Amino acid sequence: MNPKSELFAYLKEILQNNANEKSLNWLDEKSKKIQDSGSKNAFYLAFSQASRFFSKENLNLDQEAKRKAHSLISGFQPEFWNILQTARTYLLLHFSIEKEEWLAAIKQLFETGDLYEQQALYASLSLMPYPEEMIPRSIEGCRTNMTLVFDAISLNNPYPTIYFPELNWNQMVLKAVFMQRPLYRIQQLDHRRNPALAEIASDFAHERWAAGRNVMPELWRLVSPFINEKFMKDLEKVMNSEDLLEQKGGALALYHSDFPAAKALLNAHPELIQAIEKGIISWEKIGQEFQETRV
Amino acid sequence: MPMYIDPHIHLVSRTTDDYEAMHKAGIVATIEPAFWLGQPRTEVGSFKDYFSTLVGWERFRASQFGIVHYCTMGLNSKEANNIPLAEQVMELLPLYVGKEGVVAIGEIGYDDQTEAEDRFYREQLELAKEVDLPVLIHTPHRDKKRGTTRSMDVAEEHGMDPGWIIVDHNNEETVKEVLDRGYWAGFTIYPHTKMGSERMVEIVKQYGPERIIVNSAADWGISDPLAVPKTADLMRKMGIPEEHVQMVTYKNALAAFSLSGQMHEDDWLKAPPIDQTKKMSGNSVLRGGQVPRVEGPSDRVEN
Repeated sequence: MNPKSELFAYLKEILQNNANEKSLNWLDEKSKKIQDSGSKNAFYLAFSQASRFFSKENLNLDQEAKRKAHSLISGFQPEFWNILQTARTYLLLHFSIEKEEWLAAIKQLFETGDLYEQQALYASLSLMPYPEEMIPRSIEGCRTNMTLVFDAISLNNPYPTIYFPELNWNQMVLKAVFMQRPLYRIQQLDHRRNPALAEIASDFAHERWAAGRNVMPELWRLVSPFINEKFMKDLEKVMNSEDLLEQKGGALALYHSDFPAAKALLNAHPELIQAIEKGIISWEKIGQEFQETRV
Repeated sequence: MPMYIDPHIHLVSRTTDDYEAMHKAGIVATIEPAFWLGQPRTEVGSFKDYFSTLVGWERFRASQFGIVHYCTMGLNSKEANNIPLAEQVMELLPLYVGKEGVVAIGEIGYDDQTEAEDRFYREQLELAKEVDLPVLIHTPHRDKKRGTTRSMDVAEEHGMDPGWIIVDHNNEETVKEVLDRGYWAGFTIYPHTKMGSERMVEIVKQYGPERIIVNSAADWGISDPLAVPKTADLMRKMGIPEEHVQMVTYKNALAAFSLSGQMHEDDWLKAPPIDQTKKMSGNSVLRGGQVPRVEGPSDRVEN
């Protein structure tokens, strides 16, 4: 099987485990029609009407299915997808026409999409045939204020880390902070940390403090590799916080820093060091706790 | 607390204060008919972005206040008079009419009752039949009585089932014929211009609650987004039975627009299983049973 038909087979399989026969028959019929005719209108209509056949419940996937997704496309995490967007993606992948026409048709689809259609489109950027052509569109998508759409691009999506230039990557991460989204769900976040982003994150923390507001603890993950004299002042403040969750974020940032003063500051909190080394404190756990209790 | 549906309101023109007040007053669902914006559009792209707003941003904005937002799609009668533009809008409509939460073709019908208006009204009746959607008819402000009769005549000429048509903006002069012919009769409670709540009470007393639907049609003009709950309160005060109040301010609208298959009571009674990605800054959580969703103030996006 070539990679494309392997992906078709995979999506089909996970849909089979998550939808009823009537809906699957509809999907078969429409995807065949779209593939055979290459008709834009047939595709648009089926893409919209998929909502009549598939629910917005999350896909239910076993470990094997999750692993397989990743092996097909690195970073593909359909366990964060719903059934409807999976069906829509399946239809989209069957719409295969000449490149320029395809790009024009997809542009129209993005521009006229409803909330959930946009979610499906942005989340599937990495599965699309010309992902590099979609960079301006994905950057435009990040300008949204609809959380659902922003999340589709920024969270559990391999696209931004591969394709976003640094400026846009930094803007996306900062916007995620602004919108209090779970940073641990941004793929390859550590890999793409950079000094400019650390500066921006620190400035943001100062703005929040000036306004008498608290700072999400995951933010210090962005600063950690670049801790210097200046950032130490921020972390001293964090370690003096009365909120233990904020302290945990500060401690983890300090723990992964090579800056000598960072070690010294952290040594005053042996219980936090111990918790980090036992895996009780991790960025994921901090992020989860923050989402559950503070947002 | 009683639940209300406002089946005709132009929310793109309303503030977040309105949304908060509506939610507090018990409005659980709204329908936003595609209309004009107070001045005529000159480019088809303006229609495209407007239609996209109705299924995208406005739907999202409403959800932030715990209100489920639906819309109707159509080319309004005023702008039907710009024929070259209207033709382009007609080409655009198929992209939108099949979308989730589009509960009717509308609001369409007559304004000045010109030839162009007649042409695009008829074309859209055909579109509604093709995609199995109800129709929301806007009746004209001037020459209303004859315009209303004509709207129904033409709909029947096109083989439409009156039970699938909501004739809106009725008054004492039009209501009898609309009901007698089997249509749903919409009433817009508009301060100063159309129906006031007191007149509405009299109409329900006279004609009963069957197929009568109250709305605010609140827009960018002087109008009241709380017209539906306020009218319901006045009806109660004036001795109209609770069951009748519920019919004209909730049940009838639901019955008429759910013919589309795009509107279900469960949409607000049982919030769908909300996954993490759907959380608005994280606060939106499933609350099952018979209690409508209630979201807190932290449910807002910082711009």
